[in-house]
Amino acid sequence: MTLIVKNRFLGDRWRSAAVITNLVLIFLCAAPTGAAAQETLPVPDGYNEPQGFIGEPDAITRVAIFADRHLGKGDLNNGLYWDFGKMVPGAGWLAIGPGYRQWFGKDTMLVDGSVAYSWNHYKTAQARMLLPKFAKSRLALGTQVRWVDFGEIDYFGVGPDTLESARTTFGIEATHAVAHATLRPTRWFDIDAEIGLLSPTLKDAGPGPVAAADHPNFMPSQVALKIDTRNFREHPTSGVLLRASAAHFEDRDTGAFTHRRYEGEAAGFVPMFGERVVLGLHGLMMTTPIEDGRVPFYLLPSLGGANSLRSYADYRFHDRSLLLATAELRLAVMTHVDLALFADAGNVAPRMEDLDLDKQSFGAGLRFHTRRLTFARVDVANGAEGWRFLFRLTDPLAFSRVDRRATVVPIP
Amino acid sequence: MRTATLALMLLAGGACAGVARPQVQNAPPQAGASMWVEPKDIATRDLYHGPWGQEHAPDPKDVYDLVELKHSGVNLGMTVRDSKGQEWSVKQPYPGNLDSEAPVEVAVSRLLSGIGYHQPPVYYLPAFTLKDDFGRKVVIGGRFRPKLPELKEIGDWDWAQNPFVGSKEYQGLIVALMMFNSTDLKNSNNSLYEKKDGDLVQQWYVARDVGSALGDTQRMAPRKNHIDSFEQMPFILGVNTSGFVEFAYNGWYKNLVENRIKPEDVVWISEQFGRLSDKQMHDAFRAGGYDPDVAARFIARLREKIQQGRSLTLAATRD
Repeated sequence: MTLIVKNRFLGDRWRSAAVITNLVLIFLCAAPTGAAAQETLPVPDGYNEPQGFIGEPDAITRVAIFADRHLGKGDLNNGLYWDFGKMVPGAGWLAIGPGYRQWFGKDTMLVDGSVAYSWNHYKTAQARMLLPKFAKSRLALGTQVRWVDFGEIDYFGVGPDTLESARTTFGIEATHAVAHATLRPTRWFDIDAEIGLLSPTLKDAGPGPVAAADHPNFMPSQVALKIDTRNFREHPTSGVLLRASAAHFEDRDTGAFTHRRYEGEAAGFVPMFGERVVLGLHGLMMTTPIEDGRVPFYLLPSLGGANSLRSYADYRFHDRSLLLATAELRLAVMTHVDLALFADAGNVAPRMEDLDLDKQSFGAGLRFHTRRLTFARVDVANGAEGWRFLFRLTDPLAFSRVDRRATVVPIP
Repeated sequence: MRTATLALMLLAGGACAGVARPQVQNAPPQAGASMWVEPKDIATRDLYHGPWGQEHAPDPKDVYDLVELKHSGVNLGMTVRDSKGQEWSVKQPYPGNLDSEAPVEVAVSRLLSGIGYHQPPVYYLPAFTLKDDFGRKVVIGGRFRPKLPELKEIGDWDWAQNPFVGSKEYQGLIVALMMFNSTDLKNSNNSLYEKKDGDLVQQWYVARDVGSALGDTQRMAPRKNHIDSFEQMPFILGVNTSGFVEFAYNGWYKNLVENRIKPEDVVWISEQFGRLSDKQMHDAFRAGGYDPDVAARFIARLREKIQQGRSLTLAATRD
């Protein structure tokens, strides 16, 4: 630097030579020597966090750091952990409980168990074992047992035209044991099969008289195909999720409730302006053929709530078929705060061909996130049934239902 | 709300536990045990390659096989094996590269080893080729530490109970960590190594995981690897009436420094760091992959702290 300053006083004739001399000196001083200083590989794309349009208060950055460090590692860490925020709609804004997990044999086996209690007094407990590395990680085998006790779930009746004033509540306790196998031909594509036993028990007052036959033991089985290229599951900013599944619920008691369920789902995340703007699109369709047996109301696809039609109550609509479309535009106001504008549309119907997008929600919200995790959000949504304000600790487009192994009833 | 508050308190408490107050009541170190060796060659030390030299550095062009992922701490990481069969512990940045510890760990390790503190071999690669069961891909790099047969980690050592409590190198190490604004001073970040050199077996007391530094020391979500915070946070507040140095440190481990550090401890370690040249300091930060401009700001602030530490000479003399 000193040489460069002095060069200002040299004549033009010498300036070029001096600049070259300086460059050589800078190179000799700065160039690392030895093996560790060999040319390094370029840092892969998506490494740095997109900066927001305006500066961020230090307090928000620290909250983001805290959330990221303590909640962002997913299933990676051994030992005691907090199962945080991951429960079904209706559970309330907060669900938390202790868990313990341990990886064994160089990541060839995971053993995990946790319990959780929610703001609305929902209770869950689960234990699972996963063997993810058979056949060079192309085959994963696992098993899980989940117990749930959801004390008060809203229910408005079956069909698209139910009244909000018809709200009743029911409670349900269920145990679901499942064994599963997943084929992974590539990093982003898998074929999953599972079979299990589901024992639901309705509790308290239900929507009308509840007979024991209304909650038989089921043997659910399912095959699902999934393509998933999302960059981060709990705060995706690019990639797609495509999923199709076929499930069969066999009524082990009388056979009256034996039914199938087909699902198709697509989501895409389109980054723009260096990921400072992200467009998220999501479509979901579920159907149970009309010719199948009866479907107990607590296993019917449901629509409404924090992850679907956001201006409607949780589980607002139930029927054999469901259609949902969501668009969410996110603008990085600050590095860790996005402004979100969203539109949800969908409906339920007895038959797939009767589905439409007549039920709609529009709104805006804020997403508090790190690179890999949305740790809080507020949404204000408006629709035919008025305004709703939502505060949740999860991303509305994280699709935790997709990764949830044992079926939790009712379907979120 | 009570539940939420309780949950946050539990989260915070679980993550941040202090250490006991050190007492000078330990047996003297056994032969071959040390945490610091006076450097005879400080002026010629290579702080880019570090004390273990270029021969132990990872090859940036090699392909590294995934052995297993890291299952502890808040950092991402993994164990990998290079084409020669050498296993490496890799600490990677957080997604988003927010306050990453890996560059800090290498730079601080270089500075500590430069003045004589034992350190394991650590190197920084910005990216590397990882091969897992699904093939190869270039992934974000980080701190690489080889698992060497001649340097075996045999456990942790306790800040409160070790043979060096009260010694100048122990006191100096604490001051050095204050100088770096180190926040995570839990015992499990200290390693007791068995260092073999032929038939000679030594025990090294090492402050191993020194990556939580170069930011500030706030209890909740301290910034790390953050030059603005590092520049803004004071170092020494003064000397109290009992003759102990008061630090600006406000982290979870105040027991280590409150009413324990004398001015002469600060002067001693400041003199040690003062012996490092600007080039050596720049080399230390270059080893951590720092941008030269950012490195220059860190070094300027460190020089200010060294000068402040040296200025306590008068206070020490008065005592």
